[in-house]
Amino acid sequence: MTRNTDTGDDSGDALPDGGVAESGQRSGFSPVSALNERFGSDFVESSQFWLPPFLLVGLFVYGAIIWNLLISLTDFTGFGTPDYGDLDLEMYSRALADSGFVDAAINTFILLVGFTLVTLALGLGLAILIDRNIRFENTFRTIYLLPMSLSFVVTAQFWAWMFNFNNGVINIVITSLGFGRVDWIGNPDIVLWAVMFALMWQFAGYAMVVFLAGLRAIPDEHYEAAKVDGASTVRMYWRVIIPQLKGSTISASVVLMVFALKAFDFLYSLVGGYRPPNGADILATKMVREAYANLNWAYASAVAITLFLMTLGIVGPYLYYQYNRGNL
Amino acid sequence: MGTLELDGVTKVFPDGDGEVVAVDDVNIEMRDGEFLVVVGPSGCGKSTTLRMVAGLETVTSGEIRLASNVINDVKPQHRDIAMVFQSYALYPHMTVKGNMAFGLEESTDLSDEEIETRVTDAAATMGIAELLDRKPSDLSGGQQQRVALGRAIVRDPEVFLMDEPLSNLDAKLRSEMRTELQRLQSELDVTTMYVTHDQTEAMTMGDRIAILNAGELQQVATPLECYHEPANRFVAGFIGDPSMNFFDVERDGDTLIGDTFDYPLSQSTLDDIGDVTDLTLGIRPEDITVTEDASGDHTFSTVVEVVEPMGDENTVYLRFEDAPEGETFIATVGGLQRISVGDEISIEIPEKAIHLFDGSTGEAVHNRDIEE
Repeated sequence: MTRNTDTGDDSGDALPDGGVAESGQRSGFSPVSALNERFGSDFVESSQFWLPPFLLVGLFVYGAIIWNLLISLTDFTGFGTPDYGDLDLEMYSRALADSGFVDAAINTFILLVGFTLVTLALGLGLAILIDRNIRFENTFRTIYLLPMSLSFVVTAQFWAWMFNFNNGVINIVITSLGFGRVDWIGNPDIVLWAVMFALMWQFAGYAMVVFLAGLRAIPDEHYEAAKVDGASTVRMYWRVIIPQLKGSTISASVVLMVFALKAFDFLYSLVGGYRPPNGADILATKMVREAYANLNWAYASAVAITLFLMTLGIVGPYLYYQYNRGNL
Repeated sequence: MGTLELDGVTKVFPDGDGEVVAVDDVNIEMRDGEFLVVVGPSGCGKSTTLRMVAGLETVTSGEIRLASNVINDVKPQHRDIAMVFQSYALYPHMTVKGNMAFGLEESTDLSDEEIETRVTDAAATMGIAELLDRKPSDLSGGQQQRVALGRAIVRDPEVFLMDEPLSNLDAKLRSEMRTELQRLQSELDVTTMYVTHDQTEAMTMGDRIAILNAGELQQVATPLECYHEPANRFVAGFIGDPSMNFFDVERDGDTLIGDTFDYPLSQSTLDDIGDVTDLTLGIRPEDITVTEDASGDHTFSTVVEVVEPMGDENTVYLRFEDAPEGETFIATVGGLQRISVGDEISIEIPEKAIHLFDGSTGEAVHNRDIEE
């Protein structure tokens, strides 16, 4: 959807696709020239390329969001059609009063922050270790990245087995070390952390790859200069290398946070249904459950809009940061 | 004090199944405050030598001693050295002040006020006081160069190491910085090891020059000694621009027989040669003189092939009359002397200016006379 933002003063210039445009048409037909005047010299001529995807994306993404917003303002429930005549914020006040919603929102927030921070830290650690000219570097990189290539459904099943109370590998290891069994999935105080751990296992490799690319962009001389300047290895990384990874950190966090928000697939696959284990309900699972299990369409839409605003709160600043750096 | 000794320093890199000797048994002693320029063609091991002194490369064998202490196994951060990198290696996320303070913060226990004072002083010395709050990306190449130097001098180390610090500057700035670096080094009186491939920098800046080739030290001497009394053919050819002319000759009695000319020698020169018969005769372009009188023993008829006017002098590519086309040697003559391509001129190769090298080892057996 790029368009030429020239003021149009030079609209008589040759066009890149000059074979299509006819000069007589330009001066005689006023709406076309007016549009070109306003949006740039080839606005109308190029529209056949950008207009179809523009309309499709507009309808199915932004149109759907607006429709969803409208539904959240109705009282639509069960079968039938929503009544758009009576719009109010009732569903949002109901959500605030619903302890299930508040718990889900808190869990979402914990998952968002905890998962992102821990995964970033682990990914950075792995990236630094791999970057120190180790042997079998490519092999390790592949091993760490492999979980990322698996589907959520697969990893959820895999971790369900790992966390299994009676036969899970983790409990077997723990009991063989002399500790008691832990009910990873059944205990509402623990399950969220267990889920976070599994997600971290899956995404640390991704964070590692992003950080590794960032590290590779830092010239060797910076490491050497820091050493000659008297910094120990830890201080060198802390003061010279990691601050230069700001861009990588921001890119990786945005992706990780967005994945945390839509951890629905993982939780759905973990239990094979809309009802995640007690203590692990997040907004995404709540939203789907309200919509498709309880047919509370309007209420689910309100949850969806909340989730959308949270996502916007994450992506917005990132886009603004990129815009300020001239990347957009 | 900052005496730096390299004693039999050798560096071997593994290369596939074999190994590559990058630096081979290098011995250099630098006295406190000395400015030593290490020079050589690319790949000669000069940067590796510097990096071993910095501690960025391990030493395969031999010893590096700083103030009589062996520092082979001392980590770079504990060596009390400062290094200026070719790429400057300024930390992009820190201001100029942050860059300059970093080394002091990491390597000393100075208070924040003391660090601030020393950074301000060093910035004033380098003329970058007004840049202290800027980021490296906002600076020009010359300014970045000054910051990189400032970052080194603020540390007040025992030894400065400089790895081709001027090679990223344009020609005019480079000659300015050359002068400034010399002034700075003599003011600060800090032992400095300076690596370059540029023989002009080597000649003009150093107290002494160390010339390396293929990992081996060729000669350590003052610039003028290297120029007038080269230890071997490599040094003679590397130092000086345009470089020395070489002719392969055989000694027959008291005469040197070349492909296209004969050159009789006096007794004192013959005494230097001893019984070596396979020789290389060297003569610097500026020692060849154009003469009217073509009758002398050391005068030869030549044809002018190319003239490169430089203003103050002409670089003239000459060919002996009997030599095949393209087999030229170089003479520099006064800029006002009119010489054109195709001219036949007589030149003299004065015996007092010739160098003779052993044809097989390249060692100098006779160097030119130096008039007092």
